[in-house]
Amino acid sequence: MSKKFKWLFALMLAMLLVLAACNNESADKPKDEPSENTEDPAEKDDEKEDEEEPANEDGLFSIEDFVMTKTNEGEAIEGGELTYGVVASSAFAGTLNYNFYSDAYDYEFIAWFDEPLFDSDVNYAYTNDGAAEYEVSEDGLTFTLTIKDGVNWHDGEPVTAADWAFAYEVIGHPDYVGIRYGSDFENVVGMKEYHAGEADTISGIEIVDEKTLKITHETTGPSMLAGGIWPYALPKHLLGETPVAEMPESKWVRETPIGMGPYKVESIVPGESVTYVKNEDYWRGEPKLDKVTAKIIGPSTVINALETGEVDMVDSFPTDQFVDAADMSNVEWLGMVDAAYTYIGFKLGKWDADKGENVLDPDAKMADVNLRKAMWHAVDNDAVGERFYNGFRWSGTTLLIPFFENFHDSTIETPTYDPEEAKRILDEAGYEDKDGDGFRETPEGEELVINFASMEGGDTAEPLANYYIQAWGEVGIKVQLLDGRLQEFNTFYDRVEGDDPDIDIYQGAWGTGTDVNPAGIHGLTSFANYTRYASEELEKLHIDGNSEAAFDLEYRKQVYSDWQQHMVDNIPMFPTLYRSVLVGVNNRVINYSMDPASDLRRYDIAVTQEEPVVE
Amino acid sequence: MWKFSLRRILIMIPQLFVLSVLLFVLAKMMPGDALSGMIDPNVDPERIEELRNQLGFYDPWHVQYASWVGDLLKGDLGTSFRFKMPVTELMGQRIVNSFWLSLATLILTYLIAIPLGITSGRFNDTLRDQLITGYSYVGFATPLFIFALVMLWLFGFHLQWFPTSGSVAPGSVPGTFEYVMSKLYHLLLPALSMALISTYSTIQYLRNEIVDTKQKDFILMARSKGASESRVYNRHIFRNSLLPIAAFFGYEITLLIGGSIFIENIFGYPGMGQLLLESISQRDYSVVVGTTLLFGIASILGALLSDIILSIIDPRIRIK
Repeated sequence: MSKKFKWLFALMLAMLLVLAACNNESADKPKDEPSENTEDPAEKDDEKEDEEEPANEDGLFSIEDFVMTKTNEGEAIEGGELTYGVVASSAFAGTLNYNFYSDAYDYEFIAWFDEPLFDSDVNYAYTNDGAAEYEVSEDGLTFTLTIKDGVNWHDGEPVTAADWAFAYEVIGHPDYVGIRYGSDFENVVGMKEYHAGEADTISGIEIVDEKTLKITHETTGPSMLAGGIWPYALPKHLLGETPVAEMPESKWVRETPIGMGPYKVESIVPGESVTYVKNEDYWRGEPKLDKVTAKIIGPSTVINALETGEVDMVDSFPTDQFVDAADMSNVEWLGMVDAAYTYIGFKLGKWDADKGENVLDPDAKMADVNLRKAMWHAVDNDAVGERFYNGFRWSGTTLLIPFFENFHDSTIETPTYDPEEAKRILDEAGYEDKDGDGFRETPEGEELVINFASMEGGDTAEPLANYYIQAWGEVGIKVQLLDGRLQEFNTFYDRVEGDDPDIDIYQGAWGTGTDVNPAGIHGLTSFANYTRYASEELEKLHIDGNSEAAFDLEYRKQVYSDWQQHMVDNIPMFPTLYRSVLVGVNNRVINYSMDPASDLRRYDIAVTQEEPVVE
Repeated sequence: MWKFSLRRILIMIPQLFVLSVLLFVLAKMMPGDALSGMIDPNVDPERIEELRNQLGFYDPWHVQYASWVGDLLKGDLGTSFRFKMPVTELMGQRIVNSFWLSLATLILTYLIAIPLGITSGRFNDTLRDQLITGYSYVGFATPLFIFALVMLWLFGFHLQWFPTSGSVAPGSVPGTFEYVMSKLYHLLLPALSMALISTYSTIQYLRNEIVDTKQKDFILMARSKGASESRVYNRHIFRNSLLPIAAFFGYEITLLIGGSIFIENIFGYPGMGQLLLESISQRDYSVVVGTTLLFGIASILGALLSDIILSIIDPRIRIK
């Protein structure tokens, strides 16, 4: 028996190896060909290549090939139901109110049943087309806000000026535990006193009549219309008696939340899904769909869910999986530039907590702008975007990203990939390899080793960090990973925020929000300005860009163009990658657009047939 | 036995105290806090600092610990920063999910493994035995997340026999018959995926024990008395072979509330595993400490339960 068994054993081992080798593939398989029914596999492969139109031969895509508005094919049916997938690997927190939520997924669930009182235009600035209108006083400080007639909460009560003021009172309240309070609120006259508990009311907020609210501010500028006025009301008739600290856990937030949007919450399965029914009383008109279900979909199953029609559309499709999904025939892909970018930041100073200011350190390792410029020249971000992100990310130029179409200045010349130029700049600035170890020393002749902090997360984090280190090494700059490894998310921010002296440069990312004003993350007094770079000229640009004069779009454009130029000249950080966001929408869904310029609103969304189109 | 149990329970008190201090201090020692990395252009950094003060993150650890223990004794585990709701309520929601899923898994595992184990032990070294052993080895070697994905693809998306995500159909009303059925329907596929490949230990323990037992003298005795083969197996061998499985049972109970991070992520099934992992990565302290403390208590109780079960089944342990 022993001989026989040996052979069997060897055979099993061999099989095990084969199986192990297959593992990688089989993990991807379900994504690849989920609804392959009877087709010949070879045929299927051919088709795939033919259909992948937005891609070129290398499997690369460009966000410019995607439209932002769903093609309308067919007539909308009466009613119908829609399933909306929120792609997340975790449960949603369930704080379903604009005034209290902090979890990004919660937003996706709130947006179906509640909405801001202001509508916004292509620049994400408030307009008078929404549920409320605004009027500005001559000095730009006092805003008179009028809620339109017919705007009601889901329980039939009208949305009143008191509800709007109530949101201010709750967020400004000393007991409020949420992240929304901040300088925008402190800009309201009397808010600081109220927040400190010194006043019972906010003196700058006046309820004129049932539908009219007057808010007086300390300063003004175009940012007032991009989040400077809090555009969300809070139903006072329901929450008025609840202590502020207990509001986020009250049933009006967690179990039976009430809003003024096109759909009403019908039921909630905590952490998983929310069902909505049509709000016939919606102020814009009757919504098209009878019922909407929004639910969490795991990133590992999102392709299958779209393909089988389990969800009609998703909030955001993981772009790294798009290669496997591009040939889906029952889904139309929409895409746009994302409101976010990745960047390399240089630590140039310290946060002075006493003054509340960023202070430059002239002795910082990265203080020489030539060194920083050379490092920008040394990296090939287009190649990074192609290799790691199939082209869905691409080399960034200025720090006001193309998401802000009107303000992104594409005419500004920024350093591009050019290692020879990098070497030339370094040579000229006196960074030379004197001891012959292949790396340059500082002009003073000291060894130059730059510590690079980068975050872990995803498959690409490590190769990406290694690529940058290698690219800098090729022009003779010695860069090493901080502590020799990637940093865990919280550790990373802890150390970057705390100006850890071991960090010289770091790779970070910003979501920009919809307000173009960059002062929040680059300002002299902004703690979030992690590079700690500040200059008088920059500060002036920040002030000009959000001044009264800047209500004039052309003037503001010029200011922000100067701002972008200033940042390219001084390079406290440089954007490495711009990003894109993709959305898959089932063919039966119409009247949907992610374009900020579009007139389509959520209540317009309709379907052309009862069941989702399946492949 | 009561003396023994009582002693075990008394030992638990210092164990739990040390556990709670350790958990609390370790949780607080993690770099960053619930507000790390939350700054973005829409959030004022000063607000974050203000909140840190308001939430007591800057207090010395023993002050924080004292107030936490004080609340704990009142049955209050604090409020989750991320979920903005009491931790006890949050864990209540998740434990129910994890519990039913794990219970279904456990039942399915035993339903599959016990008959297979018996067959395999009774007919050892036959083709049947080899097939069963082969299956249990393959199951042992299969990574859960890949197997679960394949199952999900095959039965969920391809054949569409089972729902593919969530723990209950959206819109179900708790308390109704449909709600219960929907819950059951949703947990069948994940439970089956887990059960199918976790039969290894039960099958092998049972098999070895049976092979062992059937050579014992008392079996020979039973046979020589003329007991039928099925009686010998069902009455004499089976009962005696259940010992190691019973010993395991206490620990299995612990796993009931632990949840499985892979299964929960793949099937979008919100349970304890996911909650723990998320709260660690987001530094939601009160949840981290609450869940780990609960797991700790459950393990201690599970060990106790195992001992008690064993002492019931095997009188020899009691005598000692």
